[in-house]
Order: sequence, then structure tokens, then C-alpha cells
Amino acid sequence: MKTPFKLHNIVKRYGEREVLNIDQLSIPAGNIYTILGPNGSGKSTLLRIMALLLVNDEGQLEVLGEKVIWQKGQLLRLRRQMSMVTQTSFMFQGSVYYNVAYGLRARQMSAKKVRRQVGEMLEMVGMTAYRDADARTLSGGERQKVAIARALAVNPRVLFLDEPTSNIDLASATDIENHIRQINKQRKTTIIMVTHNLFQARRLADEVMFISDGRIIEKGTAEELFSQPRDERTAAFLRGETVF
Amino acid sequence: MEILVQGLKEGFLLIWQMDAEIFDVTLLSLQVSLTALVLSALIGVPLGAALALTKVRGKQVILNTVYTLMGLPPVLAGLLVYLLLTSRGLLGQYELLFTPAAMVMAQVLLAAPIVCGLTARAVLALNQEVYDTAATLGATRRQATLSIMREARMGIIAALTTALGRVIAEVGAVMLVGGNIRWSTRVLTTSIVLETRMGNFSTAIAIGIILLTISFAINLFILTLEKRTFRYENTIQIT
Repeated sequence: MKTPFKLHNIVKRYGEREVLNIDQLSIPAGNIYTILGPNGSGKSTLLRIMALLLVNDEGQLEVLGEKVIWQKGQLLRLRRQMSMVTQTSFMFQGSVYYNVAYGLRARQMSAKKVRRQVGEMLEMVGMTAYRDADARTLSGGERQKVAIARALAVNPRVLFLDEPTSNIDLASATDIENHIRQINKQRKTTIIMVTHNLFQARRLADEVMFISDGRIIEKGTAEELFSQPRDERTAAFLRGETVF
Repeated sequence: MEILVQGLKEGFLLIWQMDAEIFDVTLLSLQVSLTALVLSALIGVPLGAALALTKVRGKQVILNTVYTLMGLPPVLAGLLVYLLLTSRGLLGQYELLFTPAAMVMAQVLLAAPIVCGLTARAVLALNQEVYDTAATLGATRRQATLSIMREARMGIIAALTTALGRVIAEVGAVMLVGGNIRWSTRVLTTSIVLETRMGNFSTAIAIGIILLTISFAINLFILTLEKRTFRYENTIQIT
């Protein structure tokens, strides 16, 4: 799978307001692809469309080699090859175990396999001791680690990360960044990350896209975009002038 | 005050002696109210969830109607069921008037909107991220919907306990469609009215105590079940 996502003239509107207008976008497999942009630029909308959580109003979306027709069976089949970690890392009421096991149980995996897989994932993120803890009483960093374990438990080909470290302290953020790098390198999982943290994008990304007012302003390798931005709007963002 | 104390004494004595008629009345009350609650739950929970989760034209008007019906006067509910079951009514041929079935119907009319309205509120109070998380973890629509209901369960239980409170304490509707017939349709609330009118305050108080005890026991059962099932529920700590 060379390009898990191909977008062609994707438009999304909320009422009269156009929030997204992506003419062409191909995301390569196996990379950490970062979508950068100020608040309200359409980053999360784009991510939600690619994660098949939001229907585009116009254009053609191709996910994992299939043209998306928003049919129930197709959505389930495609979604089961992807997973997502959000900014708030919502936890279902219940234990850490319940949360990490959620996707596996949804796939009707045997109890024995679920136990083993959950155990491995919790060990990977260093949360084994919290297995039976109430997921909603964890700190922001711990929740984020559980959310990563939960998302990875289902062995996705694509992992979406929506501002994965914006609500947590620096030490936890570094820890999570290490996990992201490790997942990408060891599992060859394609990671698509939305962030407005420039330093994080620079540390992690193979490729970066800068988006503003719902449109792609610039895209390229992290090295190119950070060292020689071609567009003045990108440069202004990188100088920290247009975060909000 | 003296009458109340005397009534309480005699009331406890009556309960202790397990009077056959009071036992029958208690049993019928439980049968009618619990049947009405189960039926209301079967109608109200899915309807409330569907109202909250689907985009239908006029959703606000429907919700507003349900909320209005939550305050339906019991006598009016009784009257509607009475008109339905009377010999000239739509269901007159089934001769259900003045039977426990008619009482159940009246109580369902009162309780179902409560269950439906409060279930809808509980589901509407949840964020989109419940569905999104379930969907991105590969849940089917059915599994995701069940997860949404699971997240809303505290609200749904509150709906059921509120509905139970409404039906078990209700008197107007069951009096109208049941007729308060001895050994047939007499329930705890209608017995209280009858005994009070006859000046038998101690019996009325005894029945009142039974009614409260039953309600307490059922709620305790639900709360215990809730505590066992939802051991991860958090209590907001105010310091």
C-alpha cells in the first residue's frame, strides 16, 4: 500500500461556511505525516474526514485503495484498519483493561487473546500497574498512554493522532513521542498527526503539510518546510505569528 | 399528632399480623406497577435513544411533546384509557375496563414519557467523542450504539427510578380505570383513599408505610445493583 489516502477536491461546509477545500493530497504509507496549522484552520475536520467520521460534501476520497462510498459495510471494513487518539483521549466508563480491550472485543476476539494483547499493550506504554484502575481517574498523560495502547491493540495500518500531547506535561509528552516513533519504526504503521506544536512536528514528522483557512498552503518533507518555507503564511506560522 | 402516633402503632401491628387483604393489595400494587415499569422501559428506552440519536424532522417538537407528557395529569391519563376501554371505545370489545390490565395501561401512559424523555436527555448530554471513539476502534453501529447507552446508563436508571416513583404512588388513574374493587383492582394507593374516607386512619397509615417500604426496597435494590455494576462511577468531591 503506497498511498493509504488520496483526496481529490474534498470540500466540507458547515452551513454556508466552507471549512475545508483540499484540491489534491496523497499521503504515503509508513511515514509520520504531520498536518500543521493554526486553530480553526480545518486540521481536525480533515483528520475526521480521513478517519471516516465526517462525510465530505464534495470530492473523492480514497482510503486504503478503496474509493469511499460511505456504505455501512465498507466503513466498518476500512475503519477496522485504522484507529485514532484524540486530544481529550476519551475513556469509556470502566477500567483501563476495559478500555484497551474495547476494539478487540468489538472484533469478537477470544477472551484469552484479548487478555494477552491488552497485557502486551499496557506493558509497551508502561501502564501494566494501572490495569484495573478506573480509566477516568488517570492523569492526562496516563490517559493518553492508555489511549495509545487502546488504539494500537487493534493493530491498525493507520494511526491518527489529533493533538496527542497538547494537554499533558513535558515529561509525559516526551514519553508519548517516543512511543509514536517506536510504533512507526517497529510496526511500519502510517501515522497521521495533527498538531500546532511546531517543535513536536519537527521532532517527529517525515512529511509536513501546512494548512490555513481550510486550504493546503504548503507541503513537503519536514526538513524542507521548516528550513525553507516557500509561502509567507507558512513562514509567519513558523515564526509563531499565526498560532491563533 | 395523637392520631398519627396511634395510627403508626396500629399500622405496624397490621403489618405484623400480615392481614390477608393488605397482602393481596400489596401484591397487586407490585404486579401492576412493576409490569407498567417494564413495559415503559421497553417502550421508553429505545424510543428515547432513537429520538436522541437520529435526525428526524420536527425533533424539537417531538421532544417538547414528550417532555409535556412527562407531566401528564394522572386523572387525564386515566380518562384517556377509560375512553379507550369503555364499551363504546376503540378497545371496548376486550372488556379490560376495571381490570389490572387497564391499570397497567394507564400507568404505562404516565411512565413511558418519563422514561423516554429522561433517556433522550441522558443520551443528548453525551459528547460526539463517545461514538467517535467506538467507531475508530472498529465498533459496528450496533456496538457503538450500545456503548452510547452504556455511557448514558446512570441517566437511564434515574429515568426508571423516577418512573417507578410516579406509578407506585399514583392514585387518580388507577382509581378511574380500576374502580378500586375489593380483591380485584384495589391497590395500595386506592386503599389509602378508601380507608381515609372511612375514618380508618390506622389502616390508611399502615398501607402508607407498606407503600413507602416497598418503594424504599425497590430503590435500594436498584442502587445496590448500580453500585455493583458501576463501581467506576465517580462522586464529585466538594471540599
